[in-house]
Amino acid sequence: MAQHFSPSADTILRAALAGAALMVVAFLAVLLIRPYTAYSTSQNRIVEQPVQFSHAHHVGGLGLDCRYCHDSVENSAFAGLPPTHTCMTCHSQLWTNAEMLAPVRRSLGEGKPIPWQRVNQVPDYVYFDHSVHVKNGVGCSTCHGPVHTMQQVWQDKPLTMQWCLDCHRDPAQFLRPEDKIFDMNWTPPADQEERGRKLIQHYLIETKNLTDCSRCHR
Amino acid sequence: MTPLLGRRQAALGLLASALTLTSCGEPEEEILPYVNKPDGLTPGVSQRFATSLPMGGYARGVLATTYEGRPVKLEGNPRHPASQGATDLFTEAAILSLYDPDRSRSLRREGRVDTWERFEAALLPRLAAAEANGGEGLRLLTGHLTSPTLLRLIGALRERFPAMHWHVYEPVAETAARRGAELAFGTPLTVLPRLQRARVILTLDADPLGPGPEQIRHNRAFAAIRTARRDNPGGLARLYAVEPVFSNTGAKADHRLALAPAGLRDFAVALAVRLGADLPVPALPEPAARFLDAVAQDLQAARGAALVLAGPWAPPEMQALVHWINDRLEAPVDHLPPPSGQPEDLAALAGALRGGAMDTLVIIDANPAYDAPADLDFAGALRDTDAFTVHLGPWRGETGALCRWHLPQHHPLEDWADLRASDGTASIAQPLIRPLYATRSAAWLLGLMRGRLSLESYAAVRETWAAQWPAESFEATWRRVLHDGVVPDSAATPLPRPAARAPALPPAPEAGLTLLLRPDPTVWDGRHANNPWLQECPKPLTRQVWGNAALMAPAEAERHGLREGDVVQLHAGGRMLEAPVLPLPGMAPGVAMLSLGYGRRQAGAIGNDLGANAYALRRQDALWELPGLRLVPAGRREEILRLQEMHRLEGEAQELLPERAFTDLLEHPLEPEPEEPPASIFKPLEPDAPVAWGMVIDTTLCTGCNACVVACQAENNVPVVGPGDVAKGRDMHWLRIDTYWHGPEAQPRPGFQPVPCMHCEAAPCEPVCPVAASVHDAEGLNVQVYNRCIGTRFCQGNCPYKVRRFNFHGYADGQEYANQGEPIVAAHYNPDVTVRGRGVMEKCTYCVQRISAARRQAEKEDRPIAEGEVRTACQSACPAQAIQFGDLRKAEAAVSRLRHEPQHYALLGHLGTRPRTTYLAQVRNPNPALEEPEA
Repeated sequence: MAQHFSPSADTILRAALAGAALMVVAFLAVLLIRPYTAYSTSQNRIVEQPVQFSHAHHVGGLGLDCRYCHDSVENSAFAGLPPTHTCMTCHSQLWTNAEMLAPVRRSLGEGKPIPWQRVNQVPDYVYFDHSVHVKNGVGCSTCHGPVHTMQQVWQDKPLTMQWCLDCHRDPAQFLRPEDKIFDMNWTPPADQEERGRKLIQHYLIETKNLTDCSRCHR
Repeated sequence: MTPLLGRRQAALGLLASALTLTSCGEPEEEILPYVNKPDGLTPGVSQRFATSLPMGGYARGVLATTYEGRPVKLEGNPRHPASQGATDLFTEAAILSLYDPDRSRSLRREGRVDTWERFEAALLPRLAAAEANGGEGLRLLTGHLTSPTLLRLIGALRERFPAMHWHVYEPVAETAARRGAELAFGTPLTVLPRLQRARVILTLDADPLGPGPEQIRHNRAFAAIRTARRDNPGGLARLYAVEPVFSNTGAKADHRLALAPAGLRDFAVALAVRLGADLPVPALPEPAARFLDAVAQDLQAARGAALVLAGPWAPPEMQALVHWINDRLEAPVDHLPPPSGQPEDLAALAGALRGGAMDTLVIIDANPAYDAPADLDFAGALRDTDAFTVHLGPWRGETGALCRWHLPQHHPLEDWADLRASDGTASIAQPLIRPLYATRSAAWLLGLMRGRLSLESYAAVRETWAAQWPAESFEATWRRVLHDGVVPDSAATPLPRPAARAPALPPAPEAGLTLLLRPDPTVWDGRHANNPWLQECPKPLTRQVWGNAALMAPAEAERHGLREGDVVQLHAGGRMLEAPVLPLPGMAPGVAMLSLGYGRRQAGAIGNDLGANAYALRRQDALWELPGLRLVPAGRREEILRLQEMHRLEGEAQELLPERAFTDLLEHPLEPEPEEPPASIFKPLEPDAPVAWGMVIDTTLCTGCNACVVACQAENNVPVVGPGDVAKGRDMHWLRIDTYWHGPEAQPRPGFQPVPCMHCEAAPCEPVCPVAASVHDAEGLNVQVYNRCIGTRFCQGNCPYKVRRFNFHGYADGQEYANQGEPIVAAHYNPDVTVRGRGVMEKCTYCVQRISAARRQAEKEDRPIAEGEVRTACQSACPAQAIQFGDLRKAEAAVSRLRHEPQHYALLGHLGTRPRTTYLAQVRNPNPALEEPEA
């Protein structure tokens, strides 16, 4: 009688099963690893802005303090974005007619705000408060990275809950003294653990309850 | 060093991946800063401004919380005498009416949109012509006004048009009270009772603790004389209530007698005779006679601190009788000079409309086409007239639809104004937001009529006060008054006690069934019918929502063969109205009560076609009491939506809300000092937590006014579900006021118990959540994490207090009731509180956003949270200060001290939940002469 199945049928079947199993494993692997990639956390992605404001020039080059523009960072949950008038404090006299600053001049003339595109985002159910972090020893560059080197801003850290908890579970690794909060060049010294513990006492930080759900979610 | 991907992270990773597989990443978001940031404004930080809101023309001071120029919450102004830091439910709900999508947005001429210029072009020539005869054909109708600015502008208008007629109409008016004062004292004085100086109070169908412009003041005063504490055991005043209907005041009374209007009048006369009046002695039936003996004795023994009150609906002769009684008792009452100006009434206006004696009618913020008495047929007169009719109002409503011109008016929160409280204290109302629509103010219209073409209300108010304050310090005074919310030393000085004339006999009410009309406890006279918070707010005692009903005694209903929900035809004075019947124990026999404010046709999407319109039966000679009522069953039924049935707790009323005399409690406290806490599978809480939040609610002080219920709804973005879902028991109130009835059915004594989340230390809702969305934080709060909740609702099932609420639909998120999904409504949300989506459980959080804000502020300033720094929304709102919230770790905090009072107990404490919200039981001060043995 003629054979229904060719001699290689078994091989094909086994290969197909192995291939299917491999695909399932690959699929699961992608699903598992994907949220931790920069693609999902939006890290390291330059966001196009309506005005190509360069932090590298203004902060790194000219030495502007963060708070000149982000003025509510010590008082409010929201760090603050400068109103157009803040840009104009200098640019009414410097580079007044530069092509790059046309959107700023238009904003001033029409009375419409500049539509900045958000770079560092956390979901709406996270209530993050800048002021309480800044007042308790967390510096700008700890979470935002080396902004003074960024020609255009990208999100330097994952900003995932896991990443927030890394600090909330052990703040000592990340704290700095008051005079270094806005220092972009600060790096943790060799004895950071020791200094960190002292800073926790200095800032009177209550560390036991920093991981309560109601700290950040309400 | 934790492993690269723990098991939990893997699970989360899979979940996140699966969910975001279809999308390309997080949605882009824009940040729009200011172009020129206003001085003193920090984005993300709220600012508070003082202003005032009118009710019946009288002011209540408020402090408004705004975020970047958008008000989201109103609280009381501690400096204002009519507020004293608290609010009532109408004030709390005003924030939603500001953002009502049904507010009038454009000027209309006979229903079609038109322009302000064309209106001015039509009006101004008419006014110029009217000057020729002194404005004889010009008539103005307003509500009751206390605003010095508007009164001044009307006075100025009178100078231009000396023959102009000014009419004032309020559905809940003071005319009877003024007439009564005139009968008693010769002039229509303002009479202000001072409850805080009384020891014995008798109300004769009066409801000082119930809704009205004085509610907050009276509740605060009442709380001051009814606070039962260990160190003040003899300090309780005694309250007697004699009334035909069941009011909040009657519910709090130590002794209550239900009498129909005829019996009430006899009672009042008999009391006056007892105090020496020269009137014929009426015969009183036995229970009333015994009651009268006890009351008269008590009142006379407390001379100087004895007070009798008559309601604003009592006939003038009855009011005069009560003034005479108070005079004899030297009652703690202040007499203030009467307001100047004698405006005319609505009947004269209706007559002029019909008779053609007018050519121009201007109506400012009044709605007589809906709320005028039926026998005037004001709507018909308005429809048929050829006069040039103008209506200015924030809502178009029934009157705006019938007037030739409808002009949209600013909402009180958008406008400059000034107001007076009942004691004369003046305050300046400032706008909290730029007007949302192209609206104008009443001052503008009055200025226009006077001949000033673009009078801003800001300029008008400043002009008024520039005439009163010294010029050199005007700016400083202006800023101070705006900051404080009151004009200092502007309260009227009480007159020396005038002698009351000998009283005349009040007219005897007709015998037979009588229909009583009363203002509604949640929509007042109907002006708030389109406010969904107020429609969904349960009425005290009946707990009815989204409608009204004809209330009557159970025996009365049975006599007519009626049960709850049967629709009945109310025939009175040749008119008929259909309403569902709701038997209420404690109502007097021979009486039915229907509240005003329902049955509107043009209130808006929320308020239309709800309930029965009591104004259809109201007559000028029978505004509050309609004798000769005939009840005819209509042969059909209507569901009456009542809330408490749906969240019944397991237990007897005596167990859930105990009620005792204070002397009993001192000997036998409700909770003897604990020896061993009951065994529990839960770990005890951290002994060294920095703060331990707790709440104590004093049910003796609670009068069921509902201010806390609406305050919580405003603060926490609690959605409205609409009558359909309420019928399924899905109401979303985080805080509810349960009513428990003690005593036999003939002599019911209701008690009010506000129930927020108990924040149990051993919370039954926590172990049953499969995803740990219900967790405990170190400060003692039971926290609901919305982003974890998957909607199993096991927590709601396991909660013995039934305080959890589930979003069965997207009530705030895509499936809003009626027009609540309009974009403008979203402006009322508090940005500090999450707006919950569908399928998520929510509940009272002890205002965790306020706790968090106080903690963050304290951390920034390196100090602990101060006592009293965190006040929950319900605590702030309560006029009686019945809710105390604070840190149990501090021995001197109110919550800690109150736990040692003998009437302190935990609701369902025997279950071992160890709730952080505990109660002080209801304490009464009964008169031994009237005490009945417990049935």
